[in-house]
Amino acid sequence: MKKITSARVSQLFFLALFLVSFLMTEYRGSDRIAAAVNGFFRANPLTAASTMLAAREYVPLLLPGLLMLVLALFPGRFFCGWICPLGTILDLATGKIRKVGPLRALQGNLKYWLLLPLLAAALFQVNLAGVLDPIALLLRALTFFFHPLLGETVRGGWKSLYGMIGDRRDLLDPGYHLLRDYLLPFRETLYPLAFLSALLFFLILFLERYERRSWCRRLCPLGTLLGLVSRLGPLRRVPAKLCPDCRGCRELCPTSFDQELLQTEECILCMECASNCPSKRARFSFRFRNYRLSQGAMMERRVLLGGLLSGFVVARTFRFRDPEQQALLLRPPGVRSEKEFLKKCVRCGECMKLCLRSALYPAFLQAGVEGIYTPMLMPRLGYCEYNCTLCGQVCPTGAIPDLAASAKQREVIGKAVLDKNHCIPFAKRTDCIVCEEHCPIPQKAIRSETVELIGFDGSRVRVKQPYVVDELCNGCGICENVCPLEGKGGIRICALKDRTPLREPSDTPPVATIT
Amino acid sequence: MDRRRFIKVVGFCSLFVHGWLRELLAAQGPMVSVAQGANHAETTRRAIAALGGMQRFVKPGQTVVVKPNIGWDRAPEYAATSNPIVVRTVVEECLKSGAKKVKVFDRTCNDPRRCYRNSGIEAALKGMPNVEVKHLEEERYRKVFLNGRALKECELYGEALSADVYINLPVAKHHSLSGLTLGMKNVMGIMGGNRGSIHKHINQALADVNAVFKSHLTIIDATRILTAHGPQGGSLADVRVLNKIIASTDIVAADAYATTLFGLKPSDIAVTRTAYRRGLGEMNLEKMRIVHA
Repeated sequence: MKKITSARVSQLFFLALFLVSFLMTEYRGSDRIAAAVNGFFRANPLTAASTMLAAREYVPLLLPGLLMLVLALFPGRFFCGWICPLGTILDLATGKIRKVGPLRALQGNLKYWLLLPLLAAALFQVNLAGVLDPIALLLRALTFFFHPLLGETVRGGWKSLYGMIGDRRDLLDPGYHLLRDYLLPFRETLYPLAFLSALLFFLILFLERYERRSWCRRLCPLGTLLGLVSRLGPLRRVPAKLCPDCRGCRELCPTSFDQELLQTEECILCMECASNCPSKRARFSFRFRNYRLSQGAMMERRVLLGGLLSGFVVARTFRFRDPEQQALLLRPPGVRSEKEFLKKCVRCGECMKLCLRSALYPAFLQAGVEGIYTPMLMPRLGYCEYNCTLCGQVCPTGAIPDLAASAKQREVIGKAVLDKNHCIPFAKRTDCIVCEEHCPIPQKAIRSETVELIGFDGSRVRVKQPYVVDELCNGCGICENVCPLEGKGGIRICALKDRTPLREPSDTPPVATIT
Repeated sequence: MDRRRFIKVVGFCSLFVHGWLRELLAAQGPMVSVAQGANHAETTRRAIAALGGMQRFVKPGQTVVVKPNIGWDRAPEYAATSNPIVVRTVVEECLKSGAKKVKVFDRTCNDPRRCYRNSGIEAALKGMPNVEVKHLEEERYRKVFLNGRALKECELYGEALSADVYINLPVAKHHSLSGLTLGMKNVMGIMGGNRGSIHKHINQALADVNAVFKSHLTIIDATRILTAHGPQGGSLADVRVLNKIIASTDIVAADAYATTLFGLKPSDIAVTRTAYRRGLGEMNLEKMRIVHA
C-alpha cells in the first residue's frame, strides 16, 4: 500500500461518494430523490461543454461543469488525480497489473482524435461526449453490468437457500433486508449493451498493462480537455525538467514524466514527485509574472483541422433511422422533441438505473447510431409509473425535464394502439379488459363497450371490447406491459412526433393563484 | 323392505328433497355483521365483535395473514386500497387474541414500494411488534391443485397457504370487468403467475380458487367505496364515504351484502352468482342473519 497522501484521501473520498450516490439513485420511499450521482455529471466539464455546444444555449444545471473548466486553468488536471472515480479505480488496481511497456499506437495525437471530433460533432448538434466520458463509462458499467450481476447473485443465493431450508430462512430476513434495501437493485433487470459497457470498462483496465494511467493520459477525452485548458494556466512544476543528478521523478510520476520534460497537460497533480523528492527541489508554484505558455508537444494544425472535420463527418453520416424502429422509439416522460433530447442527453445511464419499473433501457441502434446508449422506454418490460417523477429529477442536463407529478402525468410518451388481430376480446371473443383495469388515467384512456357476438363455439356471448381515447392517453405503457398475451401484445404504444401534453382534467379546474 | 330396495327408495327420494335438504342445512344462514361509524377503528372492532370477536378465529400462538388490497399507488382517500386504519385495527385485534405473528402483504399492480407506502398501510403498521409487512418473493409461490372448472391448478403464495388463519380484507370498489371487486376477487392478491390471463373466465376461475383456498374471515372495508373507474380510480368524484364495515365468515355472503351498497342486487355480479351456484356461500340476503352492530 502506498503512503497516504492528501490526494489519495481525496480520491478515496470521492470514490466512496460516487458509489454511495450511485446506490442512492434509487426509489427509497420518497417522491423526491435526496441525492443522486448526477452531481458528478453536472460538475463534468466535458459533458457540460459538449451539451452547451450542442444545445447552443447556456444550461444552468451544468454551471458546475463550466466552473470546473475554468478552475482547470489554475490547478490543472487536479480533477483526474483527486476526484475522478475511474482514475481512482485505476490507481487502486494498477499495482496488481504487470507492466509490459507503453503501446506505440496510443502515443501521439490519438487523444485529440477522440476529443476534437466529439466537440466538433457537438457544434453540429450531436452530443456524443457521453459515449466516451470516463464517469459515464464507469456509471454505465456499474448500472448495466456490475449492479445487476450483484443483485442476481445475491438473490439467487437467497432463493436457493429457500429451496434448502424453506421457511426457516425467515430467521435471516433482517440481514437480507438490510442488503436488499441498501445494496441490491430492487428488480432483477437485464440490460442490453451490458456486454459493451463491461467490455469498455475492462478494456480501460486492460490498458494499465502498458503503463500507469494509460487511459487517462492517452485517450480520455475529459482529461484531454482539462489538459488543454491547464496548458494555459499559470501553475508550473519547478523544475520543469528532470534533474540530471537524480531523475527519480521518472519512476514516481504516474503519467507524464517518461520524457525529459514534464507534460503539463498530462500532469494530474498527484504530488508524488513533490512529496517524495529527496532533495526537496520539486514543487508546484503559480507563475503570474513573466508568464509563458507551458512547453511541450502540442497537436499540429493538421490534427486540429482533421479532428474538427471528422466531427462534422461523424455528425452528418450517422443520421439514418429505420422508420419501423422509430415507430416504437419511446423516450422518457417530458421529452417532447427527439432532436432537442439528443442535444442534451449525455447517456450517463442514471434514468435507467433509477426507473422504478425498469422501463428504461439503453438504445443500441434503435435511435440510429448517433443515439447509442440513450434511454428508451420498452413497455413490454416496464411501464412509466403514473405518480413517479424520478427520471427527470436525476437527469444531469435536463434532457428529461424535472416536472411535478401533475405535469408529468399529462406529458405524452406515445399513444396506445390496439391490435385487433391479437387483442383477446376481438381475436378470441372472450373477456379480458386487463388494460382498462390498469389504465391509471382517472377518467380512463382505455374504455370498453359491451357487444353481443356469436362466440367461436356458436353460442351468443357478451364481450367487453376495449378502445383507446386518444385525448386522454399519455402512453405510459402499463396497458402493453400487463397485456396477458404472451409474445406480441394486443395493445402497444406507438411513438408520436407531436407530443403536446394532455389538457388539464376537467373535473379538477386549475387552482387560481392569489397574488 | 330389503336393503337393496331401501337404498333405491332413499336414492330416488333424494332427487326431490335436494332443495329442501339444502334449506334444512342452511337454515341457520351465515351471519353478516354490518357496522357503521365515522371512527373507523371502533367501527371495525364492533363489526368483529358482532361475529363473536377475533378470539373466535385467532387462537393464541397462531400465525395470521391479513390480506388487504394494496394493489395501487393511490392515497387512501381514493378508495383504491384498503383503509389503513381498518387494516391496523384488524391486526391489533389479531395480536390481542394472542397471534404469534401477523403477516400483511399483497401482490401489487403498481410498483410494490410505492403501493405499500402511498396506501398508508406500511406506515400504519410500522413498529408494531410481531407484525410483518413484506414484499412478495417469487420463490414462495407453491403450485396448488384446484381441479376447478376454469383452472386445473394455480400458484398461491406460500405464506398464505401455511398461515393458521387467513383474513381477507378487501376494499369495496367498482371493477371494469367483474362489475365490483370484493372479497372473492381480493384473493387474487395471493395468486402467482400470469393473473391477467384468468380474466378470460374470471367468474369460474375465482370460484375455483375460493373453493380450495378458504378465507376464515372476510372483512370488507366500505368506509369509502369507489363507484366508477375502478379498480384504480383516481378521482375523488367517484368516491362515496359510507363509513361501513362488513364482516362475515361466508365470503359470498359478505360480497353479496356489500353489493347492495352500490345499489345493485347480489345476482348482478357474476362472480358472486357463480360462487353461490357452486355452493361456496349464501347470496340471498333474506337467508342471511344480518346483524347491525
